[in-house]
Amino acid sequence: MGEEPSDAADAGGDGDRPSLADQRGVESVYQPAEDSDLLARTARERVGAGDTVLDVGTGSGYVAARLAEAGARAVGVDVSPLACREAAGNGVPVVRGDLVEPFRADAFDLVAFNPPYLPTPPEKEWDDWMEHALSGGEDGRRLVDPFLETVERVLAPGGEALVLVSSLTDPDAVRAYASDHGLASERVASEKHPYEVLVVLRFSAE
Amino acid sequence: MKEDLMEIICCPLDKHDLDLEVTERDDGEILSGELVCTECSETFPIEDGIPNLLPPDMRDEAPA
Repeated sequence: MGEEPSDAADAGGDGDRPSLADQRGVESVYQPAEDSDLLARTARERVGAGDTVLDVGTGSGYVAARLAEAGARAVGVDVSPLACREAAGNGVPVVRGDLVEPFRADAFDLVAFNPPYLPTPPEKEWDDWMEHALSGGEDGRRLVDPFLETVERVLAPGGEALVLVSSLTDPDAVRAYASDHGLASERVASEKHPYEVLVVLRFSAE
Repeated sequence: MKEDLMEIICCPLDKHDLDLEVTERDDGEILSGELVCTECSETFPIEDGIPNLLPPDMRDEAPA
């Protein structure tokens, strides 16, 4: 057996990525990385001062804080109590909740979502908050699908949702699912990384 | 939480308005209290300034 760089090894069925365990390190709240940065930059170009925006799965509050810098009224939501505490500590108004469920109809000009998207076989799931922040379930779309089913209710007229997806998550399948739920979609940004292409998809009411 | 958050939140169960009952307030920041649905009367806690609007069946669901 030839020598391979250890980060290209694929013994565990995780694809060409480091394992979730390697990525999570000792943190229990997902810390901003290339994906958060691409989503924040893309969203920032699209928000106006005074827009009301929601950062779903806000984690440390990074995307919300970047949008607040741009003059938006930015609120974060996260299911994890640890993430909520960290986001609040970073000055982000935050609600503990499930996706967009605790928000009023037509409340937001823009909703940003950097979901857990790593496809993860069931036997490799970790039952802790960091696993929850990274794992997208078997197809990588554990939380993307319910988000697409519910987000339209909270979008103001003309509002849009921006979702960060990876080539590992099959962006075309995500767009097809959205279309089945009455959402038009387009690709508004993409960035190539060693193990994947990160894509920002924009969704709006059809 | 700040009181103006009331403009955008609602009951996660039936999407009706919430009533705010403040227990502790500090300089415009609501530190503890309750949010009560005006329709179904479900009560949601505000703890350490963070409203917990998870549905009751998810509230105690805590990964180890």
